[in-house]
Amino acid sequence: MNKKFVLVSLLVVVAMLVSACGGGGEKLAKSINLNLGTEPPTLDPGLATDTTSVQCDELLFLGLTDFDDKTLETIPELATKWEVSPDGLTWTFYMRKDVVWVHYDPATKKVTEKGPVTAYDIEYGVKRTLDPVTASDYAYVDYIIKNGQKFNTGEITDANEVGVKALDAYTIQFTLEKPAGYFAGIAGMWVNRPVPREPIEKFGDKWTEPGNIWTNGPYMLETWEHENKMVMVKNPKFFNAKNVSIETINWAMVVEESTAFAMYENGELDVCGVPSADLDRVRADPVLSKELYTAPYLCTYYYGFNNTKPPFDNKLVRQAFSMTIDRKKLVETVLKGGQKPAKTFACPGIFGSPAEDPNFPEIPFDPAKAKQLLAEAGYPDGKGLPEITLMYNTSEGHKRIAEFIQQGWKEHLGVEVKLANQEWAVYLKTVHGPDTPQIYRLGWCADYPDENNWVLEVFHPTLGSNDIKWNNAEFARLTEEAAAASDPAKRKELYFQAEKILVHDEAAIAPIYYYVRVVCTKPYVERTYAPLGGEHIDKWKVKAH
Amino acid sequence: MLRYIVRRLLWMIPVLLFISIVTFALSHAVPGGPFDREKKLPPEVVANLEKYYGLDKPLYQQYLNYIGNIVTKFDFGPSMRQRGRTVNEIFADHLPISAQLGVLALLVALVIGIPLGIVAALKQNTFWDYLGMGIAVFGVSVPNIVLGPLLIWIFALALGWFPVAGWGKPSQMVLPSIALGLGSSAIIGRLTRASMLQVIREDYIRTARAKGLTERVIMVRHALKNAFIPVATVLGPMFAALTTGTFVVEQIFAIPGMGKYFITSVTNRDYAVVMGTTLLYAVFLVIANLAVDITYAFLDPRIRYT
Repeated sequence: MNKKFVLVSLLVVVAMLVSACGGGGEKLAKSINLNLGTEPPTLDPGLATDTTSVQCDELLFLGLTDFDDKTLETIPELATKWEVSPDGLTWTFYMRKDVVWVHYDPATKKVTEKGPVTAYDIEYGVKRTLDPVTASDYAYVDYIIKNGQKFNTGEITDANEVGVKALDAYTIQFTLEKPAGYFAGIAGMWVNRPVPREPIEKFGDKWTEPGNIWTNGPYMLETWEHENKMVMVKNPKFFNAKNVSIETINWAMVVEESTAFAMYENGELDVCGVPSADLDRVRADPVLSKELYTAPYLCTYYYGFNNTKPPFDNKLVRQAFSMTIDRKKLVETVLKGGQKPAKTFACPGIFGSPAEDPNFPEIPFDPAKAKQLLAEAGYPDGKGLPEITLMYNTSEGHKRIAEFIQQGWKEHLGVEVKLANQEWAVYLKTVHGPDTPQIYRLGWCADYPDENNWVLEVFHPTLGSNDIKWNNAEFARLTEEAAAASDPAKRKELYFQAEKILVHDEAAIAPIYYYVRVVCTKPYVERTYAPLGGEHIDKWKVKAH
Repeated sequence: MLRYIVRRLLWMIPVLLFISIVTFALSHAVPGGPFDREKKLPPEVVANLEKYYGLDKPLYQQYLNYIGNIVTKFDFGPSMRQRGRTVNEIFADHLPISAQLGVLALLVALVIGIPLGIVAALKQNTFWDYLGMGIAVFGVSVPNIVLGPLLIWIFALALGWFPVAGWGKPSQMVLPSIALGLGSSAIIGRLTRASMLQVIREDYIRTARAKGLTERVIMVRHALKNAFIPVATVLGPMFAALTTGTFVVEQIFAIPGMGKYFITSVTNRDYAVVMGTTLLYAVFLVIANLAVDITYAFLDPRIRYT
């Protein structure tokens, strides 16, 4: 009798445990509330240029390749593998065969399969991006593809001459203008994603509206109330749908950081960036501080010197100015957001960046040496220097940084630098124009995590935008050679040298700090962090709360 | 009266044409263009974009095309920042929201401002006057950018009575309407007080009193109606300003209204949106002022239009 009672009790307890655990798995919530921060200017992958649009496209459209959130290595997504010809000019990608286009009707909630995603869709997408009629901002990314530039500029009009071809339904081949070791990353960029011809031709610019759009990623577009909200729902036909936990993403579009953070504190958002004004409070708060995470963000804040304008046509002056910036103190006392003092142009995480290489020297904060360099340049104690202007775009944040650095130059070098600011669009015209200021501030963020996107595309005398008006033959040679090389070790070595010339030997620019993202996430959200933007929410989980 | 209204409306045409020419010229004269980016675009790409938006044509032709499209198709052109969206769509999506907010804010302003001004005037130099004008000074001096977050902090975060932000549900409309309306209520309050003080010293009020009318009738029928004329004058531009969108309040409360377009279109050099928002504001202003002028005739029988 007693034994029987124990046995029955045990069975009851086990049954309760099993039912509580739902068969052993954890209980998960099906939706998440996030903030996009602003209205995405477009959802068309061929036209996207900004982080918000790219975030949406990352969830709606797959690319041939993607970047690993942790290592930032290029990993397969639509492609299963790829190969490069020995001359580095021909790249062949072999694609998955289980990815399909889907159309979602928000009114009926019906999902309709629209056929497989094929290499023809990629060929169409790439040619569409390069077509001058499309007028895509980022078409220039594909100038590396054979005849890409000629087609985009109208020099040739036959799209078939562009170096992209579907060899069969699941094999796509790119022919390049010149070898590019980083091309696997470019091939997966949003501008090169497959796009659906049928709705594009049917709806024109409106093909990305809910009800019109076809997608192939882990999510589908259910609602897009412009400037207000967007809702994405899980794509049941996605090849990896069984591993996608969150079924609905509710995107708010709250621009004001402090409002978004109030919504987070009020439980209306599950993840939110922390406004800098709230950082100290969040750090001191016993609950919020546990939800806080400082994630790297692949951007660098720098001051450029116009290398043709006196006195910055003299490298000694540039070096002196760069080494009189107390980056550590700036980060700790002015910025206070967990930013990292920069020693290179390309930030940590970028392939080829020596930022984390202990052999790459720091930019020293050495006022004594700087004074000596200035004297060697013919300006002892700053005497004889022409009037110097530091320019930034109108913003309280940039102003505070400029004033801190201005004070340092005055204190340590005895140089009075004038500050000037301009409204953003006027400022861009000034900086990008022929009369770039002696010193100007800009930031640079990665489009793809490779040094080529940094040193060559920004400071190469002819292939880059080169606002600093710098013409260093050795730097140009190194960056070109590194772009063409296929051996990763060789490329790293070349970029090490190029960065050294850029920030040390020639001090053509003064990198200041690496950006970070300070985010709060509710404890019930299990998430990843994408340093390049484009969060992989399909890999997140929300525990029942 | 009808002839007067028609004439005023017809006058709008040259006024709007003049405004459009000046705005068009100014927006193109400012350095920087819609395709200036932190990442400088290659000239070939900029050329494609300019061709796409018709910016490769001479300025006079761009202007004529713009006006032509408005007259023939009522098409205010495309946004150069949001591909695929037109200015017409921006108006259609966001103007009704701003208008709702503006009307609610105006109601708040009137409901608070007018009684405040009347009480302050009737109880001049008493505690009520000082209290009323104290509230008015507070309303005028505390900017939206402070009042908005303050209201969120008290009523959404601490008390939990209202949601932090958003638009659509009645509960989401309360805080932004107060934040937007309070400043205007202060203006209306002060103006009503000053105007009332002037009117209640007029001879005809003394006559009314002498006739033995009750104080309530004197105030409501005689004093207030006349005191309202200067208030009505400010209500016109105030209505135009509040209903076409207000950047700060819409931003703080994440309201998808028109306000941001007035600011961002200029910073982005989004030419068609700059033109559209300016013309929209001008139309609202002209019509609101016309409405004010018509109201005068009802308020003061001496005013007649021909």
